Amino acid sequence: MKILVCVKQVSVPGTYPAADKPPPGFRINSYDEYALEEALLLKERIEKTTVHAVSAGPERVTAVIKRAMEMGADQGMHIRYEQEEQLTPYQVATLIASYARDRQYDIILTGVMADDDMQMQTGQMIAGILGYPYASSVVSHEIREGRTMYVERECDARQRQCLEIEMPCVLTIQSGINRPRYPSLSNILRAKQQKIESINALDLPEARETEVRLFSPGIKPKGTILQGTRREKAVQLLEILHEKALL
Amino acid sequence: MRNKIAVIAQHADNRIDPVTYEAVSCALELCAGETSCIQIIVPGDRVEKVAQEISGETGIDTIALENELLKIYNAEAYTSALVTFFRQRAPGYILIPHTSVGYDFAPLLAIKLEASCITAVKQVNGSDGTTAFVHEVFDGRLYAEVVSKTKTTVITIQPGAWEPLGRQPGKSGIVETRNVTVNPGKTRTIAFRQSDYQGAALANSEVIVSAGRGIGKKENLSLIYEVAKLFPRSALGCSRAVCDAGWLEYSHQVGITGSTVSPKLYFAIGISGAVQHITGIKGAQVIVAVNSDPAARFFTIADYCIVEDLTQFIPTLVEEFKKKYGSFSK
Ligand SMILES: Cc1cc2nc3c(=O)[nH]c(=O)nc-3n(C[C@H](O)[C@H](O)[C@H](O)COP(=O)(O)OP(=O)(O)OC[C@H]3O[C@@H](n4cnc5c(N)ncnc54)[C@H](O)[C@@H]3O)c2cc1C
Repeated sequence: MKILVCVKQVSVPGTYPAADKPPPGFRINSYDEYALEEALLLKERIEKTTVHAVSAGPERVTAVIKRAMEMGADQGMHIRYEQEEQLTPYQVATLIASYARDRQYDIILTGVMADDDMQMQTGQMIAGILGYPYASSVVSHEIREGRTMYVERECDARQRQCLEIEMPCVLTIQSGINRPRYPSLSNILRAKQQKIESINALDLPEARETEVRLFSPGIKPKGTILQGTRREKAVQLLEILHEKALL
Repeated sequence: MRNKIAVIAQHADNRIDPVTYEAVSCALELCAGETSCIQIIVPGDRVEKVAQEISGETGIDTIALENELLKIYNAEAYTSALVTFFRQRAPGYILIPHTSVGYDFAPLLAIKLEASCITAVKQVNGSDGTTAFVHEVFDGRLYAEVVSKTKTTVITIQPGAWEPLGRQPGKSGIVETRNVTVNPGKTRTIAFRQSDYQGAALANSEVIVSAGRGIGKKENLSLIYEVAKLFPRSALGCSRAVCDAGWLEYSHQVGITGSTVSPKLYFAIGISGAVQHITGIKGAQVIVAVNSDPAARFFTIADYCIVEDLTQFIPTLVEEFKKKYGSFSK
């Protein structure tokens, strides 16, 4: 079986891009770590399974491809384009779909969402472009006989959507489905030796929407900010709760 | 111009999800209250009654888009029905509630219609003839303003961002039922079921003490238990991050994919206040938040904000409680 895992490089949480400052650091999108772990678990269970990790972006994104290889991906693929500005989910999906089209992947995995743009689109769009079926927000899955998978999607209010899906397919993985592993020493050494395959993004489609402004909503506290020392705050809080008959 | 905006209704088992009416409010904002520009679409199997109910509430034209294959939600079937329906003339905007159904099929619909796609929209800004859609980025610390460049734009509407449109007496819309061909696709929904983790204890609790990733490690749950003990009847809640880390079971999770709660007191400790979490506590009467980050999102909805390190504040709080009341109340 051949599995492709899409990994995105995002700004380090807690450090946020101000319009005039370059982001101070990058990391692998947290939801993609769950996707990668899911691929590695399948590899452990099913013989002759290979796991490829792909990312599209400027040179810096090779860091997350390396990270995926250190976690255990067999090969890393870099779809290179040089501009620094963020691509839209549609653009990324187009690049990844055209990469994956003739490469016979049985399953393509992404995280359910990116920590940075929070759009939850790329996986579904890859599937749409390739004409593959998909399931988003997957919390469990199982390969059934033939070329079908049984999948459960997490839905609102503790519901699960249970579905059957034909392979090849795209699954977007929700957090908590597993505990992503840390890189092992042997994989770190292997990844060090291994080259990342690189292809140029030739057919970057035009974006269908553009971000015109990024701004801080500002934090306007709605209620009372308790003042004083820690102890004074504790006393005040107890008084308030008492007054409201909550204690 | 008619039918510039389509709103896709969210419903299951003949029940209309109120987020549908929130999306209608957004549609009304987009067309400056001109209801004749809006058409509500109800994909399903025998959903004429649902369409009538929606039209009766809103006074807006509503179409029941029917096919057996739409009986139970499935992204491919839904999208196929909508694409067939829109083939003649796609509207300028297609508004879909940003729910686990909406965000599942919206990107596919956008691909099929060659439309732009903007998700989790919580605000519409308009100036000099352009309409910009605002959604959260980076955990909601920043907002992005996005402008569409295509004739049709697929938009998902963040639940809670618009007030649901209330009943519009005296107005009535036309209800039409249309059969649509649907390509069955390569996915088959077997069923929707409740997850094995139930949140009954949370749903009926007057006080919920809730832990976030800010507790740092599982051992620090003991601090949360101590707070819970201050209240005669309380339940233990948490953010999804706490469940994902394996510190608590998912039955404790509060939020859109966990429990929706409405206690008298919600006591949030070390929770950042992600939109998926706070959507679940809209009904809480009093909210207390403890967070070491003065910029934590939780403070924008909390009634009482305590900017403190929880590992130091909680022991002090418990100490003061004992001083005042002698011992724990349970
Ligand atoms: C489809 C989908 C559905 C989701 N559904 C839900 C849901 O139902 N419920 C839910 O909760 N999440 C849900 N999430 C996840 C959500 O987006 C957030 O990732 C999650 O709520 C974050 O949890 P948290 O606030 O505990 O962690 P973080 O965001 O990491 O916040 C930790 C907080 O603790 C504070 N802190 C750290 N140390 C201390 C200290 N010593 N003292 C005091 N404060 C401290 C920090 O300042 C920070 O604010 C969903 C996500 C997706 C994509």
